[in-house]
Amino acid sequence: MMPGAAPARRARLAVALWLAAVAAALVVAWRTHYVADLSAFLPSAPTPEQAVLLDQLKSGATSRLLVIGIEGGAPDDEASAAARAEASKRVAAALRASGAFASVHNGENSAWADAGRFLFEHRYAISPAVDGARFSAAGLRDAIDATVSLLGTPAGSLLKPILFRDPTGETLRIAETLTPARAPRIDHGVWVSRQTPRALLLATTAADGADIDGQQRALAAIRSAFDAAPTPGLRLVVSGAGKFSVESRERIKSEVERLALFGSVVIVVLLWLAFASARALAVAVLPVATGVVAGIAAVSLGFGQVHGMTLGFGTTLIGEAVDYAIYYLIQARGGDGAAERWRRDSWPTVRLGLFTSLIGFAALVFTGFPGLAQLGVFSIAGLVAAAATTRFVFPVLVPNGAPGAGFRRQLARFMSAAASRLPRARWGVVAVAMASIVALVVTPSPWHGELSSLSPVSASDLALDAALRADVGAADAGALVAIAGVSEQAALEGAEAIGARLDRLVAAGVLQGYDSPARLLPSAATQARRLAALPDATTLATRLAEATADGALPAARLAPFIADVEAARAQKPFGRAALAGTPLASALDALLLPGDATRPWRALVNLQAGENGRIDVARVRAAIADVPGVRVVAIRAELDAIYARFLREAEWQAALGAVAVALLLAWHLRSARRLAAIALPIAAATLLVLAALAVSGAALGILHLVGLLLTVAIGSNYALFFDHLRERGEADADTLASLLLANLTTVASFALLASSRIPVLQAVGIVVAPGALLCLVFSAAWLGRGGAAGAGAHGKIAP
Amino acid sequence: MPRRRPHPARRRERRRLLAATIAALGLAATLALAPSAALAEAFDLGALTALLGGVKSGEATFVETRRIEMLDRTLQSSGRLSFKAPDSFVRETLKPRQEKLAVDGNTLTMSLGDRSRTMQLDASPEAAVIVEAIRGTLTGNRNTLERLFETTVSGDARAWTLKLVPRDLRLRGQVSAVEVSGRDAMTREVKVQLADGDRSVMTIEPVATRGPS
Repeated sequence: MMPGAAPARRARLAVALWLAAVAAALVVAWRTHYVADLSAFLPSAPTPEQAVLLDQLKSGATSRLLVIGIEGGAPDDEASAAARAEASKRVAAALRASGAFASVHNGENSAWADAGRFLFEHRYAISPAVDGARFSAAGLRDAIDATVSLLGTPAGSLLKPILFRDPTGETLRIAETLTPARAPRIDHGVWVSRQTPRALLLATTAADGADIDGQQRALAAIRSAFDAAPTPGLRLVVSGAGKFSVESRERIKSEVERLALFGSVVIVVLLWLAFASARALAVAVLPVATGVVAGIAAVSLGFGQVHGMTLGFGTTLIGEAVDYAIYYLIQARGGDGAAERWRRDSWPTVRLGLFTSLIGFAALVFTGFPGLAQLGVFSIAGLVAAAATTRFVFPVLVPNGAPGAGFRRQLARFMSAAASRLPRARWGVVAVAMASIVALVVTPSPWHGELSSLSPVSASDLALDAALRADVGAADAGALVAIAGVSEQAALEGAEAIGARLDRLVAAGVLQGYDSPARLLPSAATQARRLAALPDATTLATRLAEATADGALPAARLAPFIADVEAARAQKPFGRAALAGTPLASALDALLLPGDATRPWRALVNLQAGENGRIDVARVRAAIADVPGVRVVAIRAELDAIYARFLREAEWQAALGAVAVALLLAWHLRSARRLAAIALPIAAATLLVLAALAVSGAALGILHLVGLLLTVAIGSNYALFFDHLRERGEADADTLASLLLANLTTVASFALLASSRIPVLQAVGIVVAPGALLCLVFSAAWLGRGGAAGAGAHGKIAP
Repeated sequence: MPRRRPHPARRRERRRLLAATIAALGLAATLALAPSAALAEAFDLGALTALLGGVKSGEATFVETRRIEMLDRTLQSSGRLSFKAPDSFVRETLKPRQEKLAVDGNTLTMSLGDRSRTMQLDASPEAAVIVEAIRGTLTGNRNTLERLFETTVSGDARAWTLKLVPRDLRLRGQVSAVEVSGRDAMTREVKVQLADGDRSVMTIEPVATRGPS
């Protein structure tokens, strides 16, 4: 049949549209911003407090903190301890001078010289003890006695230089509130680990946590500071969110390159097997390439950027999309009208397979993880584009399919032999399903994946991070109180109200302490109240005379104190800007987050666990319940809750997806009997994969669930094929070969993912690769017709 | 005149003397390594800590006088001490004002009136020096004492003095020396000499009957 004028015009239009679409997609892809950060592995936050938490994780103070360890040498060796301390001081000095860090702490007091001067100068505005009673005669006597009681002890020798200016000990009082209850051990004047021979430094990068280039420069600065004067036997270890981001980016980059390379090798090998023809190979690549470009463009348009991981996942698209090309190029041969025949006979089956796959990938779009949603959109757009290219463009470009037989005859022979023998073991499929169910029942539930299991950070890096965090007294995520306010002052006043209530919990031993921004920057109202409580010089002199009568401090020597108080009375409350240039500024930045048009100001109060090492969140909530606009966020529990919620959602989505696939098949088959027959091998395959993972002790999570759904979506195609075979007749060699090839491309591409070092990709791959293969084998066994398939290897599927 | 070779008999005698000396030195070395040996002459840190370590808990009162050079004054305070093996120690000042310093393991809690704060002892080496000098002595913790201080023991079991000088030079810049003295298993006095000239003497009086538990 010659194509008529109208079909010819339509064909030209199809090609023109295709070229235009590809060109447009290429432009979008070219202009796309490619990222490889960790935020794709964090869920998008549905509640305000989770938004605070995730904001902290992405770009908060935690994301800018790097823990540095200098280790090496024997545990009790004095010389190596001294060498580590020396290196710590040297590195800290270099990092402070580098400008890449907002603050660097290593336990040396010198780092606090500027901060100490500021606190001393503003002591009457900052000290929580300052009020009218403290500056009465009785209050002064009490305060001075307390200070004097420290003289003659090592603490007293620190007080002596300021004794006559600060006899009531306000500076000491401030220092007490700022000293953490859990600090690292100090040895040779620097922080060291209690567990291993290791000096410790805490560095807060100037660069934002989300600025991976900036984090990379900060890490390079640390490395060069350490290498500037290397000491034999000493090693540098660094951990922190920035390190993870930088390494993950490198890892994702190298993974994407690896997956792209191996993916290309796989497709070339398989197409060579199929056709042994360079021209066929070149044509077969077209739907894949179109799909990849369309996928990138769709993600770019939908998300504003494309994550490197999405590109890595693209290899599975190769595995799926190349099948369309293989089907067409093989089946559309046979002279004039072959393309039309293919469109009539085979396209509906291909389309059905496309739809089931789309249902599977649609589940990814709704998982709530931006990274996974990208994978879903990428795959859906890619598959639709690849299928459309095959359906509308191939009949114009290659109306007669592709030449070359490749090894299809051998593949078909193998497949038909397998198809004729496997049905002998058809009840084995049922037995496998039963055994898998038994295994799943007796094995403890494997569904205990965690949020962290999605992150591409390796277990050894996480272990190092945990060790370093334990060393610096920040072992676990702990809990924080988030206080929202319409302005900076409102947030600070809220923090002060919370602080007053938390003080009671500290006194009761429920908490060991807390960090509040109001300790560094009291609200203007509080500062003004304290300064207003200071008596004038004459009154103070009179009261001092009374307070120091018979006391250890002679009033005559306290003139500097009277002068300082008089000066403080003239002070105005200071603001955030006054802290600039001291380590206090970066400490405050971590605890006081500016608001904008969309978000309120937020003060964060970090809680330190009581003596049992745990935080009784219920008691904290009860203690502060009367303060409005306050949320207690137990970080670990909150993250677990987020993940649990996403897992529940994913279970629903997977169940809905499976039902949708079943409905689609039911609509296509219009037979409950046939639907049940198709469902059995698919169920057996997924059960076996699940049981094998459970028995191996793997922790399963959302991604494995998604993988199971994909297995159902993809695997049902094979069952459908054998169902057709049983219902309608026998397959020819090419059809059998193309089925095997299609399965091999799928298995190979997902096996590549299973070998990935990115857990998200690995989890999907480890489920789908064996699942797809088992679906084919079980379908052949359960739905095959024994010896008949072999005999009919040279026949055709009867329409 | 050429020196005469010693008579063979005298040579033998000298060899015997030499052998005896070496044997005696060996014995002394053995004794030094075995501090529990009941030899009064070998009263050293090992013997002292073994003696003190036999007492698992105790309570006492103290009176402390502190000389503050800067003020040209002497301050006096008094209160209670208690300890319990292996590593609990409480010093409660009752006069002139209520103060409490409690150490349990590595946790130091300081209470002043209604305020109390907790910190890690080893995060504050200056505090650790004083605390360990007293707690380490009371509980007979030889390892800790030797790790932190250069130790000198003088006297005997009935009246001993343990002088402790911080090993860390930076700390020695603050605490020059701590001198603990006592009788038998009972610590009676702690003298602290600070580098800035201040010094304190704490005399200790046992209150409860104590015994090994």
